[in-house]
Amino acid sequence: MSEKTVRIGFLGVAHMHSVSYAANLLQMAGVEIVGMWDRSPSLAVEWSQRLGVRRYEQAEQLLDAGPDAVVVCSENALHRPLVELAAGRVGAILCEKPIAVTLADAQAMIERCATANTRLQIAFPVRFAPAVVELKRRLDAGELGQVFAVNCTNHGSMPGGWFVDPELAGGGAVIDHTVHVIDLLRWFWNAEVTEVYAEVGDSLLHPDLGIDDAGLLSFTLSNGVYGSLDTSWSRPPSYPVWGDVKIEVVGERGAIYLDALHQYVTVASDATGKTQWVSYGSDIDRGLMADFVDMVRSERAPSITGADGLAALAVALAAYASARRGEPVPLENALPTLNR
Amino acid sequence: MQKIGVIGTGSIADVHLEGWRRMPGVEIVGYYDLLPEAAARAAQRYGGRAFASLEALLAAVDVVDICTPASTHKELVLAAADAGKAIICEKPLARHSADAREMVEACERAGVMLFPAQVVRFFPMYRRVKERIDAGAIGKPAVYRSARCGAFPRPGGKFSAAHYADFAQSGGVVLDVGVHDIDFARWCCGDIERVFARGLTFAGRPYQDHAQITLRFATGAIGFIEVSWAHPRGVFRTRVEVAGDEGLIEWDSLDRPPLLAELYDEARGLQRLSSSPTAPEDEPYYAELAHFIDVLEGRAQPIVTARDGLEAVRAALAAIESMRSGRPVALKEFGG
Repeated sequence: MSEKTVRIGFLGVAHMHSVSYAANLLQMAGVEIVGMWDRSPSLAVEWSQRLGVRRYEQAEQLLDAGPDAVVVCSENALHRPLVELAAGRVGAILCEKPIAVTLADAQAMIERCATANTRLQIAFPVRFAPAVVELKRRLDAGELGQVFAVNCTNHGSMPGGWFVDPELAGGGAVIDHTVHVIDLLRWFWNAEVTEVYAEVGDSLLHPDLGIDDAGLLSFTLSNGVYGSLDTSWSRPPSYPVWGDVKIEVVGERGAIYLDALHQYVTVASDATGKTQWVSYGSDIDRGLMADFVDMVRSERAPSITGADGLAALAVALAAYASARRGEPVPLENALPTLNR
Repeated sequence: MQKIGVIGTGSIADVHLEGWRRMPGVEIVGYYDLLPEAAARAAQRYGGRAFASLEALLAAVDVVDICTPASTHKELVLAAADAGKAIICEKPLARHSADAREMVEACERAGVMLFPAQVVRFFPMYRRVKERIDAGAIGKPAVYRSARCGAFPRPGGKFSAAHYADFAQSGGVVLDVGVHDIDFARWCCGDIERVFARGLTFAGRPYQDHAQITLRFATGAIGFIEVSWAHPRGVFRTRVEVAGDEGLIEWDSLDRPPLLAELYDEARGLQRLSSSPTAPEDEPYYAELAHFIDVLEGRAQPIVTARDGLEAVRAALAAIESMRSGRPVALKEFGG
């Protein structure tokens, strides 16, 4: 290997994606995970033992070990302090989605990284799903002619834990599941969401949950396309798979139906007492990690920027604002006032 | 850097070459083909050079990739083994059991790897089926079913259609296609004890073939495989299911794809295009060739061996014998 080894640390691992990210990094040639830190000692011990990664007692100690880059997979509300801590100490940061829980936090993170000359990438792994890549290619080729509308879902199972703590997560199903699909639509068309109307359900599917677990967004994009997105944690434990990412595009020449992750073998097992869809699709987290490592190594700009993370978060926060006010909320020039 | 020589430059060689071309750590050195213009065309397309003789190619490479019809494999494998080259050989390993056995033994004696290109083991959905069985999700496999159904092959036009239609050369759909599913069934359920089969192979339909194969495994499990060259042109339908004493795994190519486009224009009417893409490194032929190189360079244990290739050929030929005789054929006594 002539390439320099890329040394990566994990700052916060409360988001379960951190396990898959780390497992993929451990498989890659020329990549070393220098260590990890989490504010929860018990989680840190379990995570570090599971992956065979060195655990640091303090976040600063991990940064003192001199990683080239860090992955921030903490609870959403801690993204800002951890990114600010690492900015200037590392060349690049990969921050889990959503970028933050307020636009002020997101803006501060972006500015701090820019000032410190640290490249900030947001983790939107669905961009690396092969079927998503193919849909983008077909749209770029103009197969549908003029596009009229998109009908989208990012369903999930209720994750529990800190995901349902308003202080740590910043919201429930709407903040959790708006940003993936909105990021894809912005990427497909280099367009921005201009207006959002939303119906949000609090404790609708899970009595006494104390946070929104269902959401229906209706929006317009700056390219004239209108669309809908269902962000609900509506897949019950008895459902065969955790959730979905679907985008159906209607245009003047036809329709394209994307069910991005639908490559499954069906497994009925007496051991689990249920029937499950087990993925055989390419690992989208591997694509995200390969892209990130390439960015760290090459010193090019990130493929998914802090500004991308902020724009997607703004749509989720606008959905909450719309639900509170009972009316559509414009996003243009409204971003600062949406701050919570 | 592994120097690759490709023997036979028909349609399956194109698939391999698309993989070799983008694989790090290998170099496509050149080609040998009975049709010099075919080798020259490959050289133009993928780089490297056309060799005038098998000997010249063998002298210039580390690895031979045999992409010729089954009936030619023995002569090529024996020559490559003699020259001490690692070999990846397209399926079926040979047209006759005795040939396959001779190839396997010659390579064992020469200490060279003979890797049978049983690519189904590298298709991600089949890999997942096997992985879940190994993880204990269904308990002990008991009833295996799979199918591989398409139209009569004519990938290179008239020449290859004539080859496939010549039973003495190709072994018909049971040998050419059946070895895929037979090998996968063996991977999931273990050795095959006996086979019984019905089909069109001897029905006098030169450009159609079809068979239904019933299996009994040494474990007591049973199995059923359908293979077809009688389905409509444009159709390629596959499916697999394995039922165990504690569960069931199934997959069907008719399952909804991750991407479906329905496009209309007045000239062509409604076009329905479905797609189930993978990342480039997961493309099955690429994954197969990369695994072969990993094994060759000591980074992986082979997931399929020359003996597996031989046993798949033996079971397929036993199924053909069963079609001929109308009787079940026990593998233990079957010479082929």
